[in-house]
Amino acid sequence: MLLPDFQYVEPKSLQEACLFLWEHRQESKIIGGGTDLLPSMKQRIFQPKYLVSLCGIPNLDCIEFDEVLGLRIGAMVKLHSLETDPVILERYPMIREATSKVGSFQIRQMGTVGGNLSLDTRCYYYNQSDFWRKCRPTCIKIGGEECNAINGGTKCFAVFSADLAPVLISLGAKIKLFSAYGQRNLFLRDFYTGNGAKPFTMEPEEVLVSVEVPPTPKDVFGTYLKYRIRKSIDFPLASVAIMLILKGREKVCHEAKVVIGAVGTRPEEVKNIEKLLKGKRVEDSLIEEASEMAFRTAKPIANVGSSPTYRKRMIKIFVEKALRQSFGDPEAS
Amino acid sequence: MKEMITLRINGDSYEISIPPRKTLLEVLREDIGLTGTKEVCHLGMCGACTVLLDNKPILSCLTLGVMCKGKKITTIEGLKKGETLHPLQGSFIREGAIQCGMCTPGMILSAKALLDENPHPNEDDIRTAIEGNLCRCGGYVQIIRAIEATAKRENVG
Repeated sequence: MLLPDFQYVEPKSLQEACLFLWEHRQESKIIGGGTDLLPSMKQRIFQPKYLVSLCGIPNLDCIEFDEVLGLRIGAMVKLHSLETDPVILERYPMIREATSKVGSFQIRQMGTVGGNLSLDTRCYYYNQSDFWRKCRPTCIKIGGEECNAINGGTKCFAVFSADLAPVLISLGAKIKLFSAYGQRNLFLRDFYTGNGAKPFTMEPEEVLVSVEVPPTPKDVFGTYLKYRIRKSIDFPLASVAIMLILKGREKVCHEAKVVIGAVGTRPEEVKNIEKLLKGKRVEDSLIEEASEMAFRTAKPIANVGSSPTYRKRMIKIFVEKALRQSFGDPEAS
Repeated sequence: MKEMITLRINGDSYEISIPPRKTLLEVLREDIGLTGTKEVCHLGMCGACTVLLDNKPILSCLTLGVMCKGKKITTIEGLKKGETLHPLQGSFIREGAIQCGMCTPGMILSAKALLDENPHPNEDDIRTAIEGNLCRCGGYVQIIRAIEATAKRENVG
């Protein structure tokens, strides 16, 4: 399977990259590790005239930590570097957990944090070869008017399935975007539009340069659970990230964030779980209610593997399991 | 639009002129003639195209040739010294870990990267190291045994 022709550009500074992207914004794609972009190009989903590499730009691959400001991860940090970084291991084990589940060992050597956060949405009817897709109507995500996954569908339901996003959203992460006309910061949760066809609030000329995570208190509990058919390589079919702050011997909940992934067009924060758990011990009846809330938030459709029913059920099971793990239930592993 | 680049492969230097769209896998097999690295899925899902780039296992089918200049590339051909096989190659043969042989180069290089970083892996470490390498012959048990045997021999000898 050959790649289409393109011109390869390797700017030496962020400014040079942004100027180039502005000038050629409709005909360029950014390449980080290439582990998601290149398969899509081989399938002729994208055929950009220019591939703009960020490899030559200094200072995009650093991990910095400060007790007051928290964590700053450059967009070009390789997933394996993130997974094995001592600060991550000590202060953000939930980030390590999510990162270690991405793809495969080789993919983690190549793939980048920025690439994972801006992973293209997926659909059984989209991630196929040019020939396969031509046998069906052009779908909404590629500029057509019909959805192949839902008969009569008028919007795109392609799934957002990056592993890092739910965890980083649960930790209150922000991202920084650069362009020829300036920079802006936004909460990671606001980066995702919920539109499968245009999944990010990001223009083609913008570059995601870093993600910042607030410092976590010592009594934080966080975990990431991923459902997939095989134990490696596969994207998630349902995933749950949980962040709890439990204080004192009684482990009373002060903060709770539950973010579900891969069951919709963007990661979804399960609303009202914090209201439900705040000020209380995480007990059976509350766990049942919380996992039921997550179950109702999940809205998968039949456009990736497994079945929507099974994936919804896994969300409920995972939330239950993660909550039990948070107070050390030995049966919850 | 071709670009002239120098690639360092298995200790040798190669000067070639390639278009940006050529993957490292295509360059190795077609331009350099090193066909030990296998083409299977082309989409990064099988690991048969695994080579070591600066000692790290990567998928050559998803790596552009032009992005490899200045880096150290190791393919399966680079493992033996003269006529002496690498210990991993010897173990794979002795343990019956090679059936059709398609996954073998990728498996061995993933294993080499593991043993270079962690000479005392447990079974979980080995399974993680080869999690991106599929074997359609189902030879996983012998493959894991071969990697374990290599680690033991290296520690004893």
